[in-house]
Amino acid sequence: MKVTQWINKLSLNQKLAALLFVLGVVALFAGNPYGGAKATIDAQELALIVEKQADHVSAEDLADWIIQNRADYRLIDLRTEPEFAAYHIPTSECIQLPNLLTSDLQRNEKIILYSEGGIHSAQAWFLLKAQGFKSVYMLFGGLAEWQEKILFPQIPENATPEQLNAFQKIAEVSKFFGGAPQTGSEPAALQPKPSLPTPALPSGAVNPKIQTKKKKEGC
Amino acid sequence: MNAPWYKYGLFNDEISLVVAVLIGIGFGFFLERAGFGSGRKLAAQFYFTDMTVLKVMFTAIVTAMVGLYYLSVIGYVDLSLVYINPTYLLPQIVGGLILGVGFVVGGYCPGTSCVSAATGRYDGWVYLLGFVAGILFFGELFPLVEKFYVTTDMGKVTLPQLLNLPYGLMVFLVCAMAIGAFAAAEWGEKKMAAKNQGEIK
Amino acid sequence: MSSSQTSDPFTPKPYWNPYLSGIGLGLVLLAAFVIMGRGLGASGAFSSAVAFVVEKIAPSHAHSNSFYAEYLGDGSTNPLKDWLVFEVIGVFIGGFISGKLAHRVVRSVEKGPRISTRKRLFFAFVGGGLMAIGAKLARGCTSGQALTGGALLNFGSWAFMMSVFAGGYAMAYLVRRQWT
Repeated sequence: MKVTQWINKLSLNQKLAALLFVLGVVALFAGNPYGGAKATIDAQELALIVEKQADHVSAEDLADWIIQNRADYRLIDLRTEPEFAAYHIPTSECIQLPNLLTSDLQRNEKIILYSEGGIHSAQAWFLLKAQGFKSVYMLFGGLAEWQEKILFPQIPENATPEQLNAFQKIAEVSKFFGGAPQTGSEPAALQPKPSLPTPALPSGAVNPKIQTKKKKEGC
Repeated sequence: MNAPWYKYGLFNDEISLVVAVLIGIGFGFFLERAGFGSGRKLAAQFYFTDMTVLKVMFTAIVTAMVGLYYLSVIGYVDLSLVYINPTYLLPQIVGGLILGVGFVVGGYCPGTSCVSAATGRYDGWVYLLGFVAGILFFGELFPLVEKFYVTTDMGKVTLPQLLNLPYGLMVFLVCAMAIGAFAAAEWGEKKMAAKNQGEIK
Repeated sequence: MSSSQTSDPFTPKPYWNPYLSGIGLGLVLLAAFVIMGRGLGASGAFSSAVAFVVEKIAPSHAHSNSFYAEYLGDGSTNPLKDWLVFEVIGVFIGGFISGKLAHRVVRSVEKGPRISTRKRLFFAFVGGGLMAIGAKLARGCTSGQALTGGALLNFGSWAFMMSVFAGGYAMAYLVRRQWT
């Protein structure tokens, strides 16, 4: 009772000042607004995404996007720097798992992760999802699949005309990335392992990556 | 986390321009409500007779600061996606001094001059003319000041980062400072009014 | 407070409590943060307009100057199709609405009693010019830096804000005849 009486006696300005003071004091204990290392996971939602395989990008799709010079995503190579230097998918950036959260990745960006196989990218995927990143994807099968499907595609034995057609298309893509389509008739195991192309795209093959248009946001 | 809406792709650039007009209307409306269409009221801040500029500005700052802080703490807004101007300390201090001088000479700042012009003040229109001329002047001479323009680049740095204090503590300090400033402003206005009364007698 | 009486048949209504106007302004700013992820501004809109006109008159000159070039962008869109330009259009509308509702839209010149209108207009022009130079040097004006950056606890904005008050108070005595 006393408190309400006391409050009623205050002028509007004094009430507002008191409110501001209370909000300020609570802020002392309310914590870090940047989200920090606290992770929140909607397990149900994540499980659904995994179940539907909506978290994957196929090597063929990614190859198409790179050829089309799309710039609405960021391709992240999770492997070590020497591995990255030896070969990486064109347009990718090297960020290792421990550095992911301190990197300049933004929660509203479309992020495609890949590692050698699938394990590291799956771990990174959960990490980013738990941090509230909206659209994170993994390259299906990782770099291994990229090599198998894009760099060194193998013509199926006794290929049907459709399969041949498809192979011709993929062979084009493969050449774009400096790969070597395998057309030899002997079994794959007998062939010498082809060497990886240099990571850089052939010059002139692609325009310099168009940056997502930077909007002026300051005055 | 769903905000800032625009940066999560909730609407496109065209809609964002509609939003711009609406937000501008709100901005102009409250500037005018506060009396910022009047150059005399604005300038009075610098003669300690009317501290409205300080009161309105600091109230707006703490309101937005506190609101943004709590919306970020509960995880609704991603604070790292809210654009923050990089700090170039020296150009900003020098620019601020020149701007302060221009403020008391011209009677407006760019935003308030628009309100003043919209409410029929001729000096608001002339101020805007001067403002445009000043930009042209600056633009033409920009090659000469370009070097200075990029000195003391400190990047995007906030007070909590600079002072290595928790964000919440900084929020509290600014709130406390604002309350102190408001109390001082009320007290000062009364003092000045009494003094002016005395002078007239 | 307002110097304007005259032609309007109604008496101008008093201004709002500054703290309530401030809260209103703060909520608009907060809305800009939440909806757009950016703050308010004013000076940038005029820079875009100036850059636009300069480019129309002397295209190569405008593009060789990095100040104009920043506002012209990559040429894919009209520099006037800019967020701040539309926001400032809104400011005019909002100011007019509020002024009209409170009978404060009056053709007048804001000045103290001791200065002629012509001199006051001259000062307004000079002040606007100085303000532009200061705002461009500081990468923003009272809206873009002080208000927006202040709420974001931006270090540079707070340093800027203190300088603005310092500059204003230092100059106030010299131009006191204009206002008092």
